[in-house]
Amino acid sequence: MGSILFNAFSFLQKKLKAKNIPCTNARISFSDGESVDDVLKKMSIGIEDIEGVFVNGKIAPTDTLLRDGDRIAAFPPGTPGPYRLLLGIVKKNSPKENQNEG
Amino acid sequence: MSRILRIDTKEKTYSFESPAAEFQALGGRALTSKMILNEVPATCHPLSQFNKLVFAPGLLSGSPAANSGRLSVGSKSPLTGGIKESNTGGLVSQKLARLGIKALVLEDRPGDDLYSIIVIKKDSVEILPADEYRGICNGEMITKLWERFGTRVGVASIGPAGEQRLTSASIQFADPKGHPGRAAGRGGLGAVMGSKKIKAIVVDDSGTDRLALHDSEAFKTANKQWVDLLKNHPVSGEGLPAYGTAVLVNLINEAGALPTKNFRSGRFDNAHDISGETMAETIEKRGGIVSEGCHPGCVIRCSQVYHDRDNNYLTSGFEYETIWAFGAHCLIKDLDDIAMMDRLCDDFGVDTIETGVTIGVAMEGGLIPWGDGKAAIELLKKVGTGDPMGKIIGNGAAFTGQALGVDRVPVVKKQALPAYDPRAVKAVGVTYATTPMGADHTAGYGVCQNILNVGGTIDPLKKEHNVEISKDLQIATAAIDAAGLCLFVAFPVLDHAEGLQLIVDMLNAQYGLSLTTDDVVQLGISILKDEHEFNRQAGFTKKDDRLPDMFKETFPPHNTTWDFTDEELLKAKTF
Repeated sequence: MGSILFNAFSFLQKKLKAKNIPCTNARISFSDGESVDDVLKKMSIGIEDIEGVFVNGKIAPTDTLLRDGDRIAAFPPGTPGPYRLLLGIVKKNSPKENQNEG
Repeated sequence: MSRILRIDTKEKTYSFESPAAEFQALGGRALTSKMILNEVPATCHPLSQFNKLVFAPGLLSGSPAANSGRLSVGSKSPLTGGIKESNTGGLVSQKLARLGIKALVLEDRPGDDLYSIIVIKKDSVEILPADEYRGICNGEMITKLWERFGTRVGVASIGPAGEQRLTSASIQFADPKGHPGRAAGRGGLGAVMGSKKIKAIVVDDSGTDRLALHDSEAFKTANKQWVDLLKNHPVSGEGLPAYGTAVLVNLINEAGALPTKNFRSGRFDNAHDISGETMAETIEKRGGIVSEGCHPGCVIRCSQVYHDRDNNYLTSGFEYETIWAFGAHCLIKDLDDIAMMDRLCDDFGVDTIETGVTIGVAMEGGLIPWGDGKAAIELLKKVGTGDPMGKIIGNGAAFTGQALGVDRVPVVKKQALPAYDPRAVKAVGVTYATTPMGADHTAGYGVCQNILNVGGTIDPLKKEHNVEISKDLQIATAAIDAAGLCLFVAFPVLDHAEGLQLIVDMLNAQYGLSLTTDDVVQLGISILKDEHEFNRQAGFTKKDDRLPDMFKETFPPHNTTWDFTDEELLKAKTF
């Protein structure tokens, strides 16, 4: 049991706001053993809606288990900036893997 | 063949010449930097008659290639004392190219205090008296020039800051709607134009033919794929058009890299209030324009028009770095206040990054309270009046820090750091330190194939690989600047291996060449070598490649520090 701070950005924020799902500095409770994937699933966010997820300010896999007080943020494809590369959103040694997701 | 147009600003005469052999294959930043290295004494005062101001369209500019309307403006920088290439959109680049002008060079300076404008048309070049425009802001200046010369001309102008020869002075460019929303902002090039008493340059390409292409069919084929590549990529095709570069506010904040309160931490509590998402909502609500291009032929369209509370035009080209500088850096959370400061910068003709950072330094010095947007606006207004305090602010962060006795001054080579903390995204820090331009994020913004060939994932919080990535980014960016392409083409080029080849295909089809992608990389390297050589002659050494001491402080939330040695940084400049 615990809670996380959740944010969604860009098109994802717009989508969730349209459904009245809190997505700006939202407090969300979770049960033991739940991961980022579970949070996204509850909000009906599909994997195609996501390019990356920050867990406490670092890009992390979506199967990362949640801990109380975690800060989670999800963002969709379409994020500009050198940071797609520099933050590890896009792995520089595998351009082909990233072709479909953006 | 394209020619070089030289203007003698002292004698008010002009001459056309065929480019020397070593200039012939160059364009954009490659040409401006080569000309400055060859023709400007590196030790001269940037405001003296010995400095030159070079405007050069990129190699693909004027052609139908999408997103190729970028202009390089080169000179010795009054801000850094080193070489400068400042890159801009607007209408001038494509029109110069269609007029067959490879470079426009302003030389010498007048002995009197009278202003001129330069008017370039298909069959004429005129240097006309323009003292009637003295003191006029850029917005009004463009309006007057469009009334006088028609609404299809390109305009580059300086405002009161350039006239005062302040070291943060920009050269502003009319966007397609006639707003002064595009800028050769960084490095004080507006002061160089002011020193030569040129208030504005008008470029009219009416009556010219389409640019001749060596192999128009091959060009068409490559450009079609190029347009598809840009339009179908989620960043250039969806993210940038919808939110502009300001979509980065939330992301960089989330990454803990948004420099807040003069680089004290990487998170701003009010990031949401100044985010791209909030900006786009506000624009829609007030009837502004969410997405428009900065030049004809742009298919990314990341610029926008932001209206005030009364639904009237306030500013355009409202960029992430501007919003950060006046926002998180100064703890200002009112987007309307930030938009007003963007407007004032465009009108007075000062760089928004330099000026926003300077306002934060003024807050650091106790001149106005942190977070006080209204006080910041009033302080900025002084830049337009010639008030001595305005002259301090208008001379940038380093000057203001010294004037106010401040020891936290975030500059490299006296140029203010942009919107990404070097301790949290270390490759950008390496670029700030080692680019010949002074702290500049755009100097390491592109990506090319050789980067993709380097193995491993980069951790932005650690040192490993970040020198190499910065070096590769700087090379790629220099090449993109030479081509006249918008830097944001880098996103699809990163994700699709054929992207770089398409650029090469278009260059080859336009000029009848047989370049390879490796030639493009070599071009990038040669540009950087020219620029480093100029700075070496100007007296720069490795001590000028250091970040200020303040970056040795631990930076929350990731609690990293700046920890590169001089020797490590030197590798980013070793080719």
